[in-house]
Amino acid sequence: MVKNPYLPIPMHILRTYYESTDRSLKTLELSFDDPENARAFFAAYNPGQFCVLSVFGKGECALGIANAAWEGDFVRFTAQKMGSVTQTLHEMKAGDPIGMRGPLGNGFPLEDWKHRNLVIIGGGCAFSTLYALTKHLFHPAVRNDYGELKVIYGTRNSGLCMYKQDIQSWHHRDDLEMHQAVDVPEEGWDHHVGYVPNVVKEVAPSPDNAVAIVCGPPIMTKFTLSALTGLGFAPEAIFTSLEKRMKCGIGKCGRCNIGPKYICKDGPVFSLAELNALPNDI
Amino acid sequence: MSQILPKKNLKQLLSNWAASYEIYAPQQLEKFAHFMPTNGSELLYIDEQHNTRFPPKALFLPQSETLMKYTRFGAAQETIPESKPRIVFGIRPCDAKAVDLLNLMFLTEKDSDPYYQARRKKTALIGIGCNIPCPSCFCTTVESGPFGRQGMDALLTDLEDIYLVRTLTQTGKTLFAEYPEATEAQEAEAKAVQQRSLKLIDPAFETKGLKAKLDSNFENALWQKFADSCLGCGICTFLCPTCFCFDIADEAQRKERVRNWDTCMFRTYSLEASQHNPRPTRRERTRQRVMHKFSYWLDHVNKIGCTGCGRCVRYCPVGLDIRAMLREFNQLEAEVANG
Amino acid sequence: MTDLESKLTAEIANLLDDKKVDVFIAFKKAESPLHPQPAFFTESNQLGDFVYNSLCQNNLAAFIPRYPLSARIGMVVRGCENRAVNHLVVEKQHARENIFMIGVPCEGLVDWHKLVNRFGEEMIAVDEAKDEIMISYRDRQIRAPRQELLHDSCLRCVHPNPLSADVTIGELKPEGDPTLARTEVAAFSALDNAARHAWFRKEAERCIRCYACREACPMCYCTECFVDHGVPRWTESTVSPAGMRAWHIVRAFHQAGRCVSCGACERACPMDIKMTYLTEKLNEDMRTKYQFECGMDDKTQPPFAAFNLDDKNRFEL
Repeated sequence: MVKNPYLPIPMHILRTYYESTDRSLKTLELSFDDPENARAFFAAYNPGQFCVLSVFGKGECALGIANAAWEGDFVRFTAQKMGSVTQTLHEMKAGDPIGMRGPLGNGFPLEDWKHRNLVIIGGGCAFSTLYALTKHLFHPAVRNDYGELKVIYGTRNSGLCMYKQDIQSWHHRDDLEMHQAVDVPEEGWDHHVGYVPNVVKEVAPSPDNAVAIVCGPPIMTKFTLSALTGLGFAPEAIFTSLEKRMKCGIGKCGRCNIGPKYICKDGPVFSLAELNALPNDI
Repeated sequence: MSQILPKKNLKQLLSNWAASYEIYAPQQLEKFAHFMPTNGSELLYIDEQHNTRFPPKALFLPQSETLMKYTRFGAAQETIPESKPRIVFGIRPCDAKAVDLLNLMFLTEKDSDPYYQARRKKTALIGIGCNIPCPSCFCTTVESGPFGRQGMDALLTDLEDIYLVRTLTQTGKTLFAEYPEATEAQEAEAKAVQQRSLKLIDPAFETKGLKAKLDSNFENALWQKFADSCLGCGICTFLCPTCFCFDIADEAQRKERVRNWDTCMFRTYSLEASQHNPRPTRRERTRQRVMHKFSYWLDHVNKIGCTGCGRCVRYCPVGLDIRAMLREFNQLEAEVANG
Repeated sequence: MTDLESKLTAEIANLLDDKKVDVFIAFKKAESPLHPQPAFFTESNQLGDFVYNSLCQNNLAAFIPRYPLSARIGMVVRGCENRAVNHLVVEKQHARENIFMIGVPCEGLVDWHKLVNRFGEEMIAVDEAKDEIMISYRDRQIRAPRQELLHDSCLRCVHPNPLSADVTIGELKPEGDPTLARTEVAAFSALDNAARHAWFRKEAERCIRCYACREACPMCYCTECFVDHGVPRWTESTVSPAGMRAWHIVRAFHQAGRCVSCGACERACPMDIKMTYLTEKLNEDMRTKYQFECGMDDKTQPPFAAFNLDDKNRFEL
């Protein structure tokens, strides 16, 4: 009998908390009902991958994974209140049952990035998988495989910044250079002010032996990609993670393609070089 | 080497099979042909020279199928179909080939689809060739033909009072084990019928180099021209024997997770929760349909995702004809394009 | 080219050449003999493909809501299309002064369903004479009386003549018999509840949810149809009996007082589903209870959309 790829793994909600002061972003941490599923999950998991969460009676929605494997036997997601499934996710509480399919997609090509400097650039709620990536890199067994680490994270305002405590502490770490930005000036804000592409130009990371990873809303991504190109990053050294309406998550239901590539199965992470070869269908 | 099935014996044969198989064969629904269950006692609708309206892909990938049942405690119970072995009798070569193409999508090495697999594995396809092709048929253009055998366990040729049966697999041989061999004259007659039919189908468009032309004309104004007439309904894709896109939805009243056919021709297909739509107009949606079949299928499995059954041509309510569309692309200069 | 086609071509060419319209919506030849294709002519030199015959199945008024109100649109209209245009103007989907209608009294449309169900899909050409349809195969030709092949909506058409066209070409037809219009409704209404339900289920549950009926209907121009609404979902999207019944009932009710009886919904249906017995019943209710017939002018709001403080009718559901 083949494994049924549509059948969700039984999970329970461990805890939930709001990420943003406007309560539009909520984080859910899920635990596995069966430890065997946890083992299988973490054996396959690579930062940058996503899962399809299953709210029985409402449907499914795809969300990026927001934690590193070393954090523990749970899976973290941050959901923006948007469609009917995410609305229900926002109403769910610790102890509620939930289904999960994944990890799906390919995640970041971490092997290829070894011994290079990493520039991690995120905007808004799309920062979740980059958060997972950064946390992953913090692990002592991993960190030495990579060079310098720069993180640039922008949100519309400071209230919308996710994972606040952690990110606050990153400013004091000596193994990364943290840049935070808000779109418009705020009282008491002592980091960057401005849109992410402009902050990238301001910080001007060096393209030498470096890889840049960009996740954000489409308009931010678009301008950040050109800012990076302007700084001298080659298309092969710029990566982004794409989102589209997804259903199956395994390249069967058809809808998430850009040209011949399915975001779920062939992505969601693509290099700019790969994207440039695809038709304009985003 | 073929065998002979006298038409008068068909009912008996079907009722014999019915003891150990579920049988589906074209019968009359309203006034058109439709695959329905039979045990041999129903009147079949296979001597007509045209195909069923609704594609037999639905016997493998039903338009709506329950993937699982769930409870409010979150437990999900899969509902893989369990059935007797099945025979699809009277499937046309274009549709049998389409099932073969769907195998490439659903019986994959990774993430094979257990629902499709359960149905496909248990099903034998007994095909019937087309003595008189319709003017909308273009099977020969896309590597099939009115007597194509791909995907079938046996192929029948209609010779007035008898069917000439060509078994193609062990299953086919077993099913027709009791029937006598055809004479040389009968074989020759069948061959003549087949060749006559083949000659009646003109090449519809050039497939060589077509993918390159489509790829390099992604932004061509032709897409808008086709989309102008398009109503944006789902006929071309729902009746297509190879279109397989689906949606997954929870039907809360029944506590079932269901997969339904979906179509790139619908606005909602690619509409995101944020209300952003990467294919906002009929232009992008028409393009997706054609590109998927004649370009992306080739990227994925090196096959054209069309078997020339002609349903999209016959039933389009505004007479949009994929053959004419592709001919227009063929006439473009590949290198000039891209703008 | 028929005499009518040449007259129409000349008229359309003048409109385009004189820049009186920005686009002229009509039909052009398609490869399939049964479905001439809606075409959007902007220059008179494109009219070589123009065709106008009894196989032009669509109600072209369905394309009007795609255009901005300022677009000057020309159309060839039959009686039902003229009424559809009128009603779209009532619903403010276009400005009457920006539509130029060339009216053609209608002989009735030949129903492609009736053709293929009777003569098979092997037909290679279909031609028409006054009272006859000629069906050609590769090796033979058959003739059949036109009357037997007309679409049901056309058989019971009451107003075949364009009512408010800017120009009318051809001789006006006699008005249809209003009692004929009620034959199907009467047959349906005469049944008891169980039989009516069985009739409805038999038709509705054959549905494949392709929404061709919706897309072909000039009045179904909503940006978001109720079946496509995501939060909350109003109906099952599955081809379950409940989902299909919900679609057919609500679709019909959304047409109350808005249906011009053109039958474009049925002609678009790939599964030969009858739908007009529902809309015709509503039309009859509109006529008998409210003395309203949709599309007879371009000003009167349908009863269910009209509101006035002196309303004499009590609230009805």
